[in-house]
Amino acid sequence: MAAAESGTVRETADPVLVTEDLTRRFGSLVAVDGVSLEVERGEFRSVIGPNGAGKTTLFNLISGALPPTSGTVRFDGEDVTRLPPHARVRRGIGRSFQITNVFGALTVHENVRVAAQSVYDAGLPIAERFFCSTADFEEINARAEETLERVGLADRATERAAALGYGDRRRLELGLVLATDPQVVLLDEPTAGMSREETRATMELIDDVLADRTLLLIEHDIDLVMNVSDRVTVLDRGRELTTGSPSDVAANERVQAAYLGGER
Amino acid sequence: MSAATTLLEQVLNGLTIGMVYVLLAAGLSIIFGVMDVINFAHGEFFALGAYVGLSVALATGSGGFWVALLVAPLLVGLVGAGVERFTIRPLYGRNPLYHILLTFGLVLIFKDVITLIWGQQPYQFAKPPLLSGTVTLFGFDYALYSYFVIGIGALIALGTWLALTRTRYGLVIRAGSMDRDMVRYLGIDIDRYYTIVFAFGAMLAAVGGVVLAGRQNVAPGMGNAVIIPAFIVVVLGGLGSFRGAVVGGLLIGVIQTFVRSQFPFLEGLAVFLLMIAVLLLRPQGLFGNPEWGTGGEGGDLLTAGDADVFDSALKRRIGVGLVGVLAVTPLLIGLPSYYVNTLVVNILIWALFALSLDFVMGYAGLVSLGHVLFYGVGAYATVLAVMHLVPSLFVALAVGIAVSAVIAWVVGYLSIRVSGVYFSMITLAFAELFFSAVFKLEWAGSSDGLFGFDPVYGLFAGPSVGSIELVGGVSVFYYVVLAAVVGSYLLARQVMRAPFGSVLQAIRESELRTGFIGYDVTVYKRRAFVVSGGLAGLAGGLAAVQTGGVSPEFLAWIRSGEVIVMTILGGMGTLYGPMLGAGVYLVSKELLLGITEQWQGVLGLIFVLFVIFVPRGLVSLPGLLAGRFDRSPGGGTDVLAEEETEVTD
Repeated sequence: MAAAESGTVRETADPVLVTEDLTRRFGSLVAVDGVSLEVERGEFRSVIGPNGAGKTTLFNLISGALPPTSGTVRFDGEDVTRLPPHARVRRGIGRSFQITNVFGALTVHENVRVAAQSVYDAGLPIAERFFCSTADFEEINARAEETLERVGLADRATERAAALGYGDRRRLELGLVLATDPQVVLLDEPTAGMSREETRATMELIDDVLADRTLLLIEHDIDLVMNVSDRVTVLDRGRELTTGSPSDVAANERVQAAYLGGER
Repeated sequence: MSAATTLLEQVLNGLTIGMVYVLLAAGLSIIFGVMDVINFAHGEFFALGAYVGLSVALATGSGGFWVALLVAPLLVGLVGAGVERFTIRPLYGRNPLYHILLTFGLVLIFKDVITLIWGQQPYQFAKPPLLSGTVTLFGFDYALYSYFVIGIGALIALGTWLALTRTRYGLVIRAGSMDRDMVRYLGIDIDRYYTIVFAFGAMLAAVGGVVLAGRQNVAPGMGNAVIIPAFIVVVLGGLGSFRGAVVGGLLIGVIQTFVRSQFPFLEGLAVFLLMIAVLLLRPQGLFGNPEWGTGGEGGDLLTAGDADVFDSALKRRIGVGLVGVLAVTPLLIGLPSYYVNTLVVNILIWALFALSLDFVMGYAGLVSLGHVLFYGVGAYATVLAVMHLVPSLFVALAVGIAVSAVIAWVVGYLSIRVSGVYFSMITLAFAELFFSAVFKLEWAGSSDGLFGFDPVYGLFAGPSVGSIELVGGVSVFYYVVLAAVVGSYLLARQVMRAPFGSVLQAIRESELRTGFIGYDVTVYKRRAFVVSGGLAGLAGGLAAVQTGGVSPEFLAWIRSGEVIVMTILGGMGTLYGPMLGAGVYLVSKELLLGITEQWQGVLGLIFVLFVIFVPRGLVSLPGLLAGRFDRSPGGGTDVLAEEETEVTD
């Protein structure tokens, strides 16, 4: 492993997330068609593709929001294909949503705190879980505060999440994922609907706070992922078109035909 | 009579009542399909049809029945249109729960208006001479009127089906029941159709009322008696499916009649078992589309948690003060002991029941329409424990809590996997199942209930030294209840501040997100349901002791309705709000009882106004009023919008 750390593209295979022949049909539509991915530990992988390419469906299959029609998902060597979403989160697969999904009536701090609490949930004695005030769990609160610092929302901790502006809510979304301490983070268009300036700040934030994790990022805008990704997977109409380093993908003719050709 | 003719007669009897169910269920189902409204008042349209028909028939003399059959549905249709326009319309876009609550309030109003106009006594509706007597078909004698009911039901069902499939109106309505927004995007004003659909559903129900009136008495409870079977039909056939309503109606009619004569011990149980089985195996019903009624466009439950204006120190002072007043109330000289021993105890018990409902409804988003089940089971278990097990009130109450919690676990295990409206329906079915079952059980006292035990060993007498009573006539039981209720509130509040409660609140905000930060939502909901069931069981046990016994009344669905009313009235999601709601509800009832016999109707009206204008309940009122004084007074519908903006401030 250590030898691989130096290179930008890792050669030694240590896949943390593997999908084998993953397929999902909706009626006659095949949204994800036999996708086999190997994501290395610590890799920054981007998944790009035009609208309707099956990116979000792929995320839903990996995170457990949808059951696959066929194929398997392996995490850390374990078959997690049949596990419900919460069990996958516990094992270390976290995800964000394309449409911001935070707990609106709760404070910013409480949002992140309840996410952090899930890491400790299984180990809490019954009496503590039911009767001790949440303020008394120092470790969980410290974790929540640290997360807020990292996503830059510490000064807004006491505000209710619904009162945050759009950009800050996206940060909170990221904070919810981060607080559960995932090994692999699935980010579904984290910059959707942001201005150019916000987008740049968010990408920097992601690069900063999630640098030590394995990242799987859905993005629409190919230029955005070129500089930050280790490898890029291109989906088109449910199929994996190619996977490779950003420069290889950019040079790939089929990618240009399917994805770039029309727009650029 | 041979076995074959007996069977034939039963099938015909079943089809006759089944046709009436079809008339009811078709309207219910279409209304739900098109506008997501679960109309509890539908049974009252049915009753209103019978009563209006009665009056019309009496006024027009001979041949009056035929006039009634025509005029009554039209009048009821007009009432239906008014109801839709002025009460239901302001609530579109909110969670379907609010329609359930609203129409429950309408039930109370309609019921009292009916008794106000026509009185309590039952009427006989003279069927026309043309339809009297029997006819012989294929050597088989049967009442002509039943053939008439089956015939007219089939005719109307066919007509409705043709209207739905062959006309432009029908096309829009069917399209609207599949995807309302798509219809809007096509440039069709679907809202205009809502009034028509609702009025049409009310008309069908009224026809059912008139034709059934020719077979049985017209009495105030007739709407109440058919609404639950009609819901079973709709759920069985599939919410929103016309075909399902027809098949389900006939099926339920025949099954009910058949079970009554062949398996009398299952009467009243079979249909609920069937409904539960269908909801568990195929929640969308026999003909339903699985994508309907999943609450896709359901708005949020409006909890009062954030509409609250008092800070916690003030609330604590008010709370402590209130408990203090309650503690010394029995000592106040000159207060008649009725108020303390009956009214205040009643309020405290219902406050506990409302608290138990708020625990799941206001925090985990589980709208239980059958919460009376746990209250009733707690009452029965407590009484049975005292009679057969232990002569101690406190042990018996603990038994009541435990049994209710176990039943809640079982019901929760089976029903929490289905979501939204289906969950509400399945809890209602379970409650009705127990309600029917208790009539069959000798050891539970059947319809008489269980009375005549003394569990309190002097608790009802006041504390005394020798033969001198210390506090005039006020029982120690009062303090037992006070301690139980205050203790339960503090316990519930602490649970909500603990990790467990914080997850419940997250679930209320977003189930999906809670799952994706690593919590098993189903398990958390089930646990909350168990806690809530235990609290409701304690309320039921205390109520049984207070009443001096227990009867099937303790399991009647109207109590589920009342406790929901209290919870919304007070403001759910606050724990203390629903308790306040219980107090206000019962005190209003007490005051109104002295003024008018129509107290239920007046309460219903107040409740309807609350659902429309103050959906976050009494505890949000100070904030609402403060907002009012700052701005220029606007139209009624602005209240909600104002509230929503306040939330994002």
